[in-house]
Amino acid sequence: MAVLLSSNLCLILLVSALDWLPTPASAFLIDWDRTTSSATLGPHFTDCISRDQETFRCWWSPGSLQNLSSPGALRVFYLKKDYPFFFYLHFLLECFFDANHTSVWIPYCVQLRGQNVTYFNEDDCFTVENIVRPDPPVSLNWTLLNISPSGLNYDVLVSWKPPPSADVGVGWMRIEYEIQYRERNATNWEALEKQPHTQQTIYGLQIGKEYEVHIRSRMQAFVKFGEFSDSIFIEVTEIPSKDYTVPLTLVLIFGVVGVLTVIMLIVISQQQRIMMILLPPVPAPKIKGIDSELLKKGKLEELNFILNGGGVDGLPAYATDFYQEEPWVEFIEVDEEDAEGGDKEDNYNSDTQRLLGLPHRNIEGFSAISHPDDDSGRASCYDTDLPEHDTQRLMASLLPGQPEDNETCLDAPASETGEKPLIQTQIGGPQTWVNTDLYAQVSNVMPSGGVVLSPGQQPKIQENTSGSERETQKGGKQNEDVEGIKEQKRNEPQFQLFVVVPEGGGYTAENNTQQTSTPPSTSVPGAGYQTIQPQPMETKPAATGDANESPYILPEPSQPQLFTPVADYTVVQELDTHRSLLLNPPPSQSPSLCQPQHPLKVPMPVGYVTPDLLGNLTP
Amino acid sequence: ALCSRLSSMRAASSCTNGQTGCHFLSLANLFDRVIQHSARMHGISNDLHSEFELYFLPSKNQIGRVSRNCHTSTILTPNGKENAQRIAREELTEVILKLLVAWREPLWHFHQNMAQHREFNNFSSNKSLEMSEMVHELRRGVQKVVEKMQMLGVINSSLGNLGSPEALLASDRAEWRLMNDYDLLYCFRRDSNKIQNYLKILKCRIIPEHGC
Repeated sequence: MAVLLSSNLCLILLVSALDWLPTPASAFLIDWDRTTSSATLGPHFTDCISRDQETFRCWWSPGSLQNLSSPGALRVFYLKKDYPFFFYLHFLLECFFDANHTSVWIPYCVQLRGQNVTYFNEDDCFTVENIVRPDPPVSLNWTLLNISPSGLNYDVLVSWKPPPSADVGVGWMRIEYEIQYRERNATNWEALEKQPHTQQTIYGLQIGKEYEVHIRSRMQAFVKFGEFSDSIFIEVTEIPSKDYTVPLTLVLIFGVVGVLTVIMLIVISQQQRIMMILLPPVPAPKIKGIDSELLKKGKLEELNFILNGGGVDGLPAYATDFYQEEPWVEFIEVDEEDAEGGDKEDNYNSDTQRLLGLPHRNIEGFSAISHPDDDSGRASCYDTDLPEHDTQRLMASLLPGQPEDNETCLDAPASETGEKPLIQTQIGGPQTWVNTDLYAQVSNVMPSGGVVLSPGQQPKIQENTSGSERETQKGGKQNEDVEGIKEQKRNEPQFQLFVVVPEGGGYTAENNTQQTSTPPSTSVPGAGYQTIQPQPMETKPAATGDANESPYILPEPSQPQLFTPVADYTVVQELDTHRSLLLNPPPSQSPSLCQPQHPLKVPMPVGYVTPDLLGNLTP
Repeated sequence: ALCSRLSSMRAASSCTNGQTGCHFLSLANLFDRVIQHSARMHGISNDLHSEFELYFLPSKNQIGRVSRNCHTSTILTPNGKENAQRIAREELTEVILKLLVAWREPLWHFHQNMAQHREFNNFSSNKSLEMSEMVHELRRGVQKVVEKMQMLGVINSSLGNLGSPEALLASDRAEWRLMNDYDLLYCFRRDSNKIQNYLKILKCRIIPEHGC
């Protein structure tokens, strides 16, 4: 059957002869090394290739015989089995068989014919499915799968699409792919396993290196591969953040550990100071120079000795010994010169004389009394409501026994009094002040309201700011003071004091004592104590010159009143109708004017009664 | 492995009545298994053919001579994609079944010959045995597919029963005894490729939405 020709088709020649003469070479069905023996070859076919198993091409060359290279000198004949067709070549060195002329699974034989010679080779027979070389895949790309924990290797997933010329969708061709990769400048390719899927993973690539990847395709269960695709390049550079995070965390950890260590060292070394800052010590009530142990153990002699100021040298010794190692113990400092808590000597002297209004050796301390701003004890007793002058004079009249904690109270008003009313009388030296008491015991309270005091120790009469009495034997020096006091008394008549000043006895000052009806003036001459009558109608000593309105009676030693000697401490038996205390007089008490001191009062701490002494008191 | 494959094929074909979607899905599954089977068969035939060429490397191209001696050359088969898409489904299915029936016995004899020849290693012997069994299993699988298609009304029921002994005898003209071993392998390699292609095209014509 004749076949219609087109411009691209070959003519078919009927070939009856089926036995062909064998000619060498050009067995392109099997891999043929074309470089060998090409010089002596005659016209031959170089290759026949199908891309889609629906069409195929054949290429041929005239060989070394140049006289056959002219167009039209050689014609291609092909034999399709069982189809006695023949075609002839149309000038070109290739022959294209279209879909109409391509039959799969049918052997084809092609031959070249010259004018009189037929160049053919039985090796040039083939079937189309055996010459299929699919096109390479398209859209080749890659994605990073993961990176190894060491940061040196990574895996890549390569994906592509099948060649468009191969009709894979219909199932006409089943293609398998082969991926090859190599480093950028390497020579050998590494091939992965052939597989029919359109993606594949490449494992174990190294970071920092550049890789070249290409792919080719092949019909499944066939031999011939298609051409390689264009190469793509894969490169993954190092991740810098990873390098930074690891040393950064290490630096942070070490820094934190170091800071903690330093803090711990500081805390340990400065333990005591931190304790002071965090837990400021509560000032314990400590008396200067007195060890609380002495009180506990009941060493009265020692304690009394200390309290009485015995051994001035001892005080600081005690203080320094006991409180040297306790820096948080705050001593009540009266004088600003007393920077150290253990030094009491100057403080003692200045306090006493300050209170008594006596000129002190340290004038500067006297005049410039400004206390160190110790808050201990002062705020409670420093009462600004009180009239200053009265308070000052009141306080000044008190004889300081020993420097005590409440000296600051006394000092405050004392500083403002000035000096004038505080006239030192009978300054017998500092030691005379030692024996003075700030307190005296109330022996008896008269029904009229008077208070009978018992003498403490040898007192020194001091003026009182409000009705202080003075010893008449003091002399005229006091007159001025008395008058001054009286004037003040006129100004402030509401303060009335009952002061009993026995000869050499202590006295107390009472504030705001009501003035009652005229109490009987009782005084015990020579008894050591006297009562003060609030009534001004008592006879006053001429020396004083007090006016009648003075509510104060200065005691006269000549007052005939007698009193039974009353101990400093007595037991209150009962209250009479007038609400006066009826005391239980102590037994066997001989009134002796010469005895200014109560026999029971021998070395008794002022204001304190120890339990063993208490037994002596009770009748 | 082959028995399990076919049994799974039979199990997959069981659907509850009245679910056409399930039926078509099971038909698609059946097709896929059959196509996988045929692909494997073709792979084995290609391996055997390549191995045979190593032992008996022909110096010349023997296509011309061989092409006439294939006993299946009398079966008219479509020679291209378009031809295969143009002919009727029933005709294409019949071609597949004819090819599978025609090769059962020759491969069995081939295996017997291979087992006797000591020069072949165990690899070839096992492959020839597997190949002959696969042809048999594949034919049964394709028959299942045909029954399913006939049940679903995809193809007419005019298709004759090719499993009958009469059909086998009709197709067996004993020409295959004239082929030598190499020719047999060459011919079967070509025909297994045909079977694979025809099955794929048939599936994509009937059920185009599943993996075509």
